[in-house]
Amino acid sequence: MRVQEISSGIYETQGGRKKQIATRNLVPGNTVYGERTLEDDSVEYRIWNPRRSKLGAMAVRKFQMPFSKDSRVLYLGAASGTTVSHVSDMVPEGVVYAVEFAPSTMRQLLRLCDARKNIVPLLADATRPVSYAHVVEPVDVIFQDVAQANQAEIAVENAKQFLKKDGYLLLSIKARSVDSTVAPEKIFKEQLKILSAAQGIKLKIVKKQNLSPFHIDHMGVVAQRID
Amino acid sequence: MDNWFGEVEISDDGDIEKCNLSGRDPKELAERIRQIQKKANAFPAGVELRELARKCDFAADDSEYLSILQQACVEAARESIKESYTPDLPIIHAVGAIDDVDEAVNLLAERLSVWYGDHFPELDLKTFDLASFVETRGLRDDVSPDDAFYELTKNSMGCPMNEKDGLILKGFAGDISSLYERRSALEQYIRDNMEEVAPNLCYLAGPLLGARLMSMAGSLKKLASMPSSTVQVIGANNALFKHLRSKAPSPKHGIIFNHPLVKSSSPRNRGKISRALAAKISLAARTDAFSGEFHPSIKDELDKKVASIESRQKKEAHK
Repeated sequence: MRVQEISSGIYETQGGRKKQIATRNLVPGNTVYGERTLEDDSVEYRIWNPRRSKLGAMAVRKFQMPFSKDSRVLYLGAASGTTVSHVSDMVPEGVVYAVEFAPSTMRQLLRLCDARKNIVPLLADATRPVSYAHVVEPVDVIFQDVAQANQAEIAVENAKQFLKKDGYLLLSIKARSVDSTVAPEKIFKEQLKILSAAQGIKLKIVKKQNLSPFHIDHMGVVAQRID
Repeated sequence: MDNWFGEVEISDDGDIEKCNLSGRDPKELAERIRQIQKKANAFPAGVELRELARKCDFAADDSEYLSILQQACVEAARESIKESYTPDLPIIHAVGAIDDVDEAVNLLAERLSVWYGDHFPELDLKTFDLASFVETRGLRDDVSPDDAFYELTKNSMGCPMNEKDGLILKGFAGDISSLYERRSALEQYIRDNMEEVAPNLCYLAGPLLGARLMSMAGSLKKLASMPSSTVQVIGANNALFKHLRSKAPSPKHGIIFNHPLVKSSSPRNRGKISRALAAKISLAARTDAFSGEFHPSIKDELDKKVASIESRQKKEAHK
């Protein structure tokens, strides 16, 4: 088994023919959602399935992953915490502010917070950043996976409030939640336009790519704040 | 300015003028976090909070800061979850449970019908009746001479079965009929609760249809905040998307078709009546969600409206 770091906190393993990505388990011996683990040099890694995680798909597609071990991350749309757990692995000395709106999914996320002390759970509405401004500091990275019709606006609003200069905004645009009747390509274009033409903040699109076949009708985007 | 660990005043040149720290008990901090969350524009975003906390002597270093913050936020989330249970939630679960029971009971009843059919094919009972027959009587030989089905048992072409077969079939049939009972208990539960939780919706749409509308919308609040044109087509997803994507005609009704007023209407009026019903359902849901008072007049208005739609059509027919 060969494990190799391909980006800060993200590892590639060559088991047989297949290449897989993984993160270094912050809580060895503890898995989150039934993912497989492997050990190399007595370090435990958790396999990261790109089909279950948009951020994972972006990592496989060689998006620039702007995490470092002490990054502060604002995670919008944390859901039950599958991907959050991998982000938490990547920032062992940092913090993940995990915003989730639905109480029942937050319940599962809280279980994660018992073992992983670098996750700060926030049961709040990502469309109202003011509702968590008294808790969240300026952050290095914002990752957004909210599947809302106005998701680009939500991303811009949060970036304006919390993203440091030169910080990165990562998002996965779900065309089907923006408008299910319009061709996805057209929606991606419009959403990207909202990002780059936002008032009061300058976002430079660094990379954009369709996430199929891992996720159908999704586009991964990385943007950097340059104002 | 209030932030999660205390009230801080900062002068224009960034100096701290006043520091009113909160206690460090996670429960107390959680309460504070939740209170501020409800206010609008309580605190400006993008402040280096951990630095501020250090300057105010709240937390000595980053790890202490984060540790207190995490505990407080976990506690705040737990409290908010506790508060998020609304009285419409058990009804929505009950609607889901009915669907699950239906699915299971159909599957099991079909199996019983095939299995028992080998033994007694002449018995032409299905579903509930078959299950209670097998549960109470058992095999052909056990049917008593004064039973209405006794005649059928003679000269049956079914295969013989022994006591062991009879026992397992009886037990299986018993499970099925208890599922039928469970289903009606769930329905009764919904009826009772709908009257309390959403009296207007219940009175107008009926408890079961009302509950189903709520469940498909996600909650009473969500149903209340939907435009009535959406309420009109809840449950007609395929037809609606076909309409939006191509030139297919718009659906006239979703599950509100099950309302007697729509179901019994003539095809010419059905669209108009669905629209009127959906409008009143919206009104009823909003009244239930936001005031809770019972207004039987909503139904009277609907009846009047429906009557006028029908009389208009009759007039046109006479011309």
